[in-house]
Amino acid sequence: MKTRKLTGALLLLLAVAALPSTAGAMHISEGILPPQWAALWFAVAIPFVAWGLREMKIRSAREPFFKPMVGLIGAAVFVISCMPIPVLTAGTCSHPCGTGMAAILIGPALTVVVSSVALLLQALFLSHGGLTTLGGNIVSMGIVGAYTGWAVFHVTRRAGLPLWGAAFLAGLFSDWATYATTSVELASALPGSGSFLHMAAAIGLSFMPTQLPLGILEGVITAGVYRFISVRRPSLLECLGVATAGGAR
Amino acid sequence: MSLLSGIFSDLFARQDNTLARLDARTKLIVALAMLAAVIFSTTPVFPLGILLVCVTAAAALGVPARLLALRLAAPLGIAGMLLVLQSVMAGSTPLWSAALLGVKITVTREGLHNGLLIASRVLGGVSVMLLLSSVTPAHRIFGAMRALGAPQGWVEIAMLMYRYTFVLLELTGDVTSAQKVRLGYAGMRRGLASAGTLGGTVLLRSMDQAVRTHEAMRVRGYSGEIPFGPMPKLARRDGWIVAVAALALGTLFYAAEALCP
Repeated sequence: MKTRKLTGALLLLLAVAALPSTAGAMHISEGILPPQWAALWFAVAIPFVAWGLREMKIRSAREPFFKPMVGLIGAAVFVISCMPIPVLTAGTCSHPCGTGMAAILIGPALTVVVSSVALLLQALFLSHGGLTTLGGNIVSMGIVGAYTGWAVFHVTRRAGLPLWGAAFLAGLFSDWATYATTSVELASALPGSGSFLHMAAAIGLSFMPTQLPLGILEGVITAGVYRFISVRRPSLLECLGVATAGGAR
Repeated sequence: MSLLSGIFSDLFARQDNTLARLDARTKLIVALAMLAAVIFSTTPVFPLGILLVCVTAAAALGVPARLLALRLAAPLGIAGMLLVLQSVMAGSTPLWSAALLGVKITVTREGLHNGLLIASRVLGGVSVMLLLSSVTPAHRIFGAMRALGAPQGWVEIAMLMYRYTFVLLELTGDVTSAQKVRLGYAGMRRGLASAGTLGGTVLLRSMDQAVRTHEAMRVRGYSGEIPFGPMPKLARRDGWIVAVAALALGTLFYAAEALCP
């Protein structure tokens, strides 16, 4: 049984390394989740999307400009998340998640809304992710990625890190948290001869060759984006409360 | 990015054909029913049948083979990987074994069945989405979602995001080209710095565009909500289409389950 697990993990690792485009796609593909798991992840995701829509309604009532701005920032983050970045370990390109970057700017609740739209667009027009797996993908990328990035950014700003340093860590951990959650979701859906934890560990391990460097690259790009904005348009970050996040000065 | 702008578009869905003329709500309901049937199937035959029907329909409607290949490439890779992994990681009845790099690999009967089932569900599900997006423009899909109960705020954000994704994609392409001719991507370090600048530029431009878009919307009477006119009542023909599709799906589903357990 031990040899079997080792073989499986080895093959999983080889398969992911041999199919970098697959590893680079951070979404669970259409049809992978069985009905009960697809329903469960939708049930988890819907309250978060509803909460985000409630926040948008409240803020839009105060400032009608807010809704177009969320839509445009969502489009920008969607475009940035499609930017190819080189992954040396896989010898190919992958894509940043962008949720950490968005969560810093518009907060995690609205990032969940924006992510749910981006995931649907990708499922419809790029065949990345899917409609039955939308709930699972919203949980991993929208909810876990956004809240992790936002929390890391605020905690590290409060600890005194400069804006670019906090943005780096937010991008890094939101990316890694997304993939860790995706591993758990896949392990729950894919039957294996070992335990759930063994399967989750095997899938998580297989993501490592691409995800460890990719997370670092996403952190670097997030830091670069916020450094650029803080130099070119610092008033914007002050206006959105990013510059003083976590009580930082 | 060029690859993305090549396949991320509903341009083809705007062409005139039999399926494109149907009401978007009808198409969405039938697509959802097909997806549900695909993930509930316990035999690979039904999802593979859906794949055949959808890809044949898309090809018959004139969707370019290159676009079909590009859209199906990643799901095919995922399906292949799942088939291999499930074959060796799940189940207990040995079917075939071989040594690879000194490690014994055993393919099991149950694992092979699981792998085939999941791979077929992936391909069947993706082909349904592919056909839907090939015959329905994005704004009609969002309109249909609104009519079927999706929250107004969510649909508004979806429409804004879809509309401005293309504006920002064009901007990103222009900035990237300018960076490339200035050797902005010569080497990892410079490449990452350029990517950060590019991302920052796109975000800044998006916020500038948001101001202009809001002003333009206000001039057109926007007061916080994009108005959605009432959708026309579904025609009797659409009701028949849904009923016939449901009957056909149900029959094929149960036939596949009964004949190919």
